[in-house]
Amino acid sequence: MALALEGSLALARTIALCRPQVVAAYPITPQTHIVEGIAKLVADGQLNCEMVSVESEHSAASVALGAAVAGSRAYTASASQGILLMAEVLFDIAGLRVPLVMTCANRALSGPLNIWNDQQDSMAVRDAGWIQLYCATNQEAIDTTVQAFRIAERCELPVMVCVDGFTLTHTLEPLELPSADEVDGFLPAYVFRHGLNPSDPRSLGTLVAPEHFSEVRHAHHQALLRSMTEIEQADADWAAVVGRHCGGLLEVRGDPDARLGILTLGSVLGTLEDAMDMNPDLPRARFIKLRSFRPFPTEALREACAGLDVLIVLERAISPGGGGIVGPEVQMALANLENPPRVHNFAAGLGGRDLSLDLYERLVTTVTQAASSQPFSIIDVDTTLLPEADR
Amino acid sequence: MIEIPPGAYARPGTSLEFKTGSWRVERPVHQHRAAPCHAVCPAGEDAQAYLALVELGDLRGAWETIVAANPLPAITGRVCHHPCESACNRRHYDEEITIHGVERFLGDEAIRKDWRYPVAAPASDAPRMAVVGAGPAGLAAAYHLLRGGCHVTLIEALAVAGGTMRTAIPHYRLPPDVLDQELDRLLALPGIAFQPQTRLGRDVSLGELQSDFEGLFLGPGQRKGREWGADFAVPGDLQTGLQLLETWVAEGTIPHEARSVAIAGGGNTAVDLARVLRRQGVAQVHLITHQRIPAPDVPADDAMRATYRDVSQAVEEGVIIHEHRGVRRLILRGERVVGLELVHMKKLPGADGRLRRVAFDGTETVLHVDQVIPAIGQQVDPLGFEALVERGRLKVAPWWGSLQGHPGIFSGGDARGDHGTVSEAVGDGRRAALAMLRQHQGQTLEPSSAPEGIGYDELNVHYFDPAPAAREPVLPPEQRLGNEEIEGGLDARAVRHEAHRCLACGNCLACDNCWTLCPDQSVLKTRAIADDGSHYVFDYDYCKGCGICATECPTGYIRMVPD
Amino acid sequence: MNEQPLHSLEALRARQPRFRGLESGHRACQGCGEALAARLTTEAAGPDVMIANATGCLEVFTTPWPQSAWRLPWIHSVFGNVAALAAGMEAAQKQQGRSTKVLAFAGDGGTFDIGFQALSGMMERGHDVLFVCYDNEAYMNTGVQRSGSTPHAAMTTTSPPGKARMGKRHMKKDILSIIAAHHIPYAATASVAYPSDLRKKVRRAMATEGPSFLQIHSPCPLGWGHDGARTIEVARLAVQTGLFPVIEMERGELIGTLPIRTAKPVSEYLKLQNRFRHLFGADHRARDELEHLQALANRNIDRYDLRGVGPEKYDTEGADTVHRGGDRWA
Repeated sequence: MALALEGSLALARTIALCRPQVVAAYPITPQTHIVEGIAKLVADGQLNCEMVSVESEHSAASVALGAAVAGSRAYTASASQGILLMAEVLFDIAGLRVPLVMTCANRALSGPLNIWNDQQDSMAVRDAGWIQLYCATNQEAIDTTVQAFRIAERCELPVMVCVDGFTLTHTLEPLELPSADEVDGFLPAYVFRHGLNPSDPRSLGTLVAPEHFSEVRHAHHQALLRSMTEIEQADADWAAVVGRHCGGLLEVRGDPDARLGILTLGSVLGTLEDAMDMNPDLPRARFIKLRSFRPFPTEALREACAGLDVLIVLERAISPGGGGIVGPEVQMALANLENPPRVHNFAAGLGGRDLSLDLYERLVTTVTQAASSQPFSIIDVDTTLLPEADR
Repeated sequence: MIEIPPGAYARPGTSLEFKTGSWRVERPVHQHRAAPCHAVCPAGEDAQAYLALVELGDLRGAWETIVAANPLPAITGRVCHHPCESACNRRHYDEEITIHGVERFLGDEAIRKDWRYPVAAPASDAPRMAVVGAGPAGLAAAYHLLRGGCHVTLIEALAVAGGTMRTAIPHYRLPPDVLDQELDRLLALPGIAFQPQTRLGRDVSLGELQSDFEGLFLGPGQRKGREWGADFAVPGDLQTGLQLLETWVAEGTIPHEARSVAIAGGGNTAVDLARVLRRQGVAQVHLITHQRIPAPDVPADDAMRATYRDVSQAVEEGVIIHEHRGVRRLILRGERVVGLELVHMKKLPGADGRLRRVAFDGTETVLHVDQVIPAIGQQVDPLGFEALVERGRLKVAPWWGSLQGHPGIFSGGDARGDHGTVSEAVGDGRRAALAMLRQHQGQTLEPSSAPEGIGYDELNVHYFDPAPAAREPVLPPEQRLGNEEIEGGLDARAVRHEAHRCLACGNCLACDNCWTLCPDQSVLKTRAIADDGSHYVFDYDYCKGCGICATECPTGYIRMVPD
Repeated sequence: MNEQPLHSLEALRARQPRFRGLESGHRACQGCGEALAARLTTEAAGPDVMIANATGCLEVFTTPWPQSAWRLPWIHSVFGNVAALAAGMEAAQKQQGRSTKVLAFAGDGGTFDIGFQALSGMMERGHDVLFVCYDNEAYMNTGVQRSGSTPHAAMTTTSPPGKARMGKRHMKKDILSIIAAHHIPYAATASVAYPSDLRKKVRRAMATEGPSFLQIHSPCPLGWGHDGARTIEVARLAVQTGLFPVIEMERGELIGTLPIRTAKPVSEYLKLQNRFRHLFGADHRARDELEHLQALANRNIDRYDLRGVGPEKYDTEGADTVHRGGDRWA
């Protein structure tokens, strides 16, 4: 039965259903409602866990790590500056192959200060070695979060569930929460095989010499690649329980026969789908909803792009001096196709700029007018606001 | 076959595969060093060893440790001049251990509890050895020969054993019942045939002893007091200090009429006689010595040969000591002595470097006394073995005591002429017995000497807490009237206190310092005693040679050697 | 003496009457004070613990993969997070209903500087964690750079003496006041020169419910510039001069000290170490600095009331008195 819930609170209740024993929390907009929701559930006795209100995000990730290696399912959430502050710990967690789940309430990065939604924060730590799953809707956020615990614990890899800040977290809408039985049936008790145990002591976080370090990295990389199977399996298994799926590694929507493709991560898809529906005279597009950014699903992407002439990669982040982040990876993945589509890479909605319905037309028009691949640009920039020299 | 697990965790204790011992350039070793008390003990006792046993509560074991070297601790604990205490390292920290008090206590305890020497009866076909003289040297020689498994025949000219201990040490220093009990136990050992009133030269000849026995020890002592030679005229009835002292000890009194007496001499005989005369009631007793009263700042060759304790007690009792003086001549009126002429005198090195007496003309003074007694030394009474005696003594090799020119005959004690204490005599007897045993077995005698004691700066005294010494009670001078012992003993508590203060120089204390302070777990504790005598084993597989153990060992038992 | 055949080394190692939490074979320098302190801490803490260890010498020399010198569950994460890591481990233990004690190990950098925030947060939240600071007074692992714990006037690579400077300008951070302000149930300082006292404090902290803090003065022969054989001697002098006070606090109140029987002048401690060599030259500033350090020591003695009132069994000279048979060791 659907309940009208704010996205954050729905996530809080979902986390509670997953029975973490330790939750670490440091507040940062727009994640705050998630941890506040959890705190209230704990206070009301609906969640039995240690809620550790830490003194910084660096410590939040550390507390979660400590709990996970000590044998407890753990969780934390953050955004923006908090993600950067905990960055060294995120790399450590993944390198030590510790299962953890966290929510990233995607938000722009300083400076200057901006508290609204883009995906700069999770993109900044894409190399940390975490699985990164992007949610297009709040419902996907709920379902992905449940799946994330299983994926993490089976693969011994941490999972970052990325949920657009404000756009999703602060939106009130009807959502289906799974039942406790459904979650309990799906998630077994937490078991971490190489954790801290006085009756079987181990030393984690050793000093690895050049002779062995490449192998450790190789194994980690392979583990991430292998996790694609589990990401798909978890989605399928959960769909069998609740009747909803999130698309596995990626999902093809819109017009499957269109020769124009638009690849997105996160909630912008909804706007584009609505716009296409509302403008039947505009060209059709095949939407590729990329769910798993790490591991990068090269094979699935190549299949999804079969027959495309043009592919627009629309991203919510930028690598200054380089261009896009997702765009070049997509381009690399498609490079060896027999007839790779022309890839156009745009960023939009940086710092929470509203993505309106006319974005679809703008995108489609821009690429059909272009003869060849466009250089990367921020498609919704208004350069008239800038001095001549900075345009 | 290396397999890197996820996240590269490591298994516990696997560092043991890496032998950090390869890093070191020096390694710690245990090295037993002689404690200074052991190094300087004339009898060869290891005081550190028996103090350790006392601290552990094993009094009997402590006594047995003493009597492994010296069978007469109740005696030496009373009369020895205890060089061990002068050498004790603790005196540089706070106060030296009252070692002689512990020795005396153990000797007395053995008497109280009737402990027997742990000496078995000799086999019937064991070698037969002869010992002449039942003084401390002879008794010690006999004892150690018995310990070595021999039969011993001990002949003694007097009716009782003891030698100088019996005849010339006043009872206020050595009670006769202690002497009796200590000697009775020794003479009761199986294998010893004690023949008193048997005099070499009168009742048995040297040749008979040499042919009837497989080894011979001569401990005749120096029973004859030296007399003044032709230096100056002396009264005809002059008795030596030794004769008078022996009379006192035997009879408890000396016939005398003098109101003032001068004794020439600075040894134990002179000092004992001076104190005895004071007890007799002689108003003025003077002691004339070319040396000085012993004190820490007085060099050994300028100090009176008597012990410091006895000299200082003599001064307390009113003896007047004239230091750096010699007797020029006696002043006689007919046959009576009315005084003596003193002169300033010292012993100074001559052209050959040896010390000789030098009198300083122009410093003469007269001391008016009614009686003069020479106590200027003693010499061997050579009856029966004249051929062996040279200038009043038996010349022996210093360590093993073999008589020069007469292999097979050994000697020690006062007869050697170069020392005159009970403990030195005991040491002589012990070493001579060992030499006789080896010689009998056909082994050669290696040159040897006393071990060198470990110095104070090799210890780490930080680990000891200061504590004052327990000292035995001493009768105040006004109460020293008769023959009661002047010095009492330490009680059991005081003995434990002293044993506890011992720094265990050069020996493992099992204090656990090394075991506790090694950063590399490379000192291992063992319940067995390790080959090197300690309670620990170095784990050289991992020891990096840092040296903390050696630095923090309180007793200097660990040394770093190149590796 | 009865001589019995010795067991093999392996057998002896396995039969040592103490818990070998930190094994041999680690790569610490010869005479390392920190290795000794960690060994003493783990053997007093026993096997039912789990350790979080900050970046620094200790974790580097104990865990060169595939080897580890630890016989305890142990994790090293990053430099500044050990108190938070430990807090998470403790939260997990609590939820699981387990009593395994969580220990956090850090050097002075991981305590005074980069790890400071997490330490403060852990204490404020009341986690049942024993935080042990192995204080060797600089960033030793990275090559002897100054930290907030480096004493005034000490030479390090980032506070070298020269024409314009006499070593570190700033004072050693008053960590004890900061710890005191958190009002945790138990905090103490200790030194490798007084191992019985150290182990006793570890056991006390183990039995404490809530946060506890132990700062162990651990000389570094390499960084301080002295012979490895003198590590204990140097540590002892630090205590006897008053420069390193050995105290205990409960809820921020001073409740115990190791009284100094006879205070030694600071020069006796400083002259043994190369890092203070510049204080013994002809430069007039050297004298100033010596006096300054003496004044700091005097202030410690007054402030913590370290002066003994006569010889005591547990003062700086009595506390490590040896007895035959080792029965002094608590």
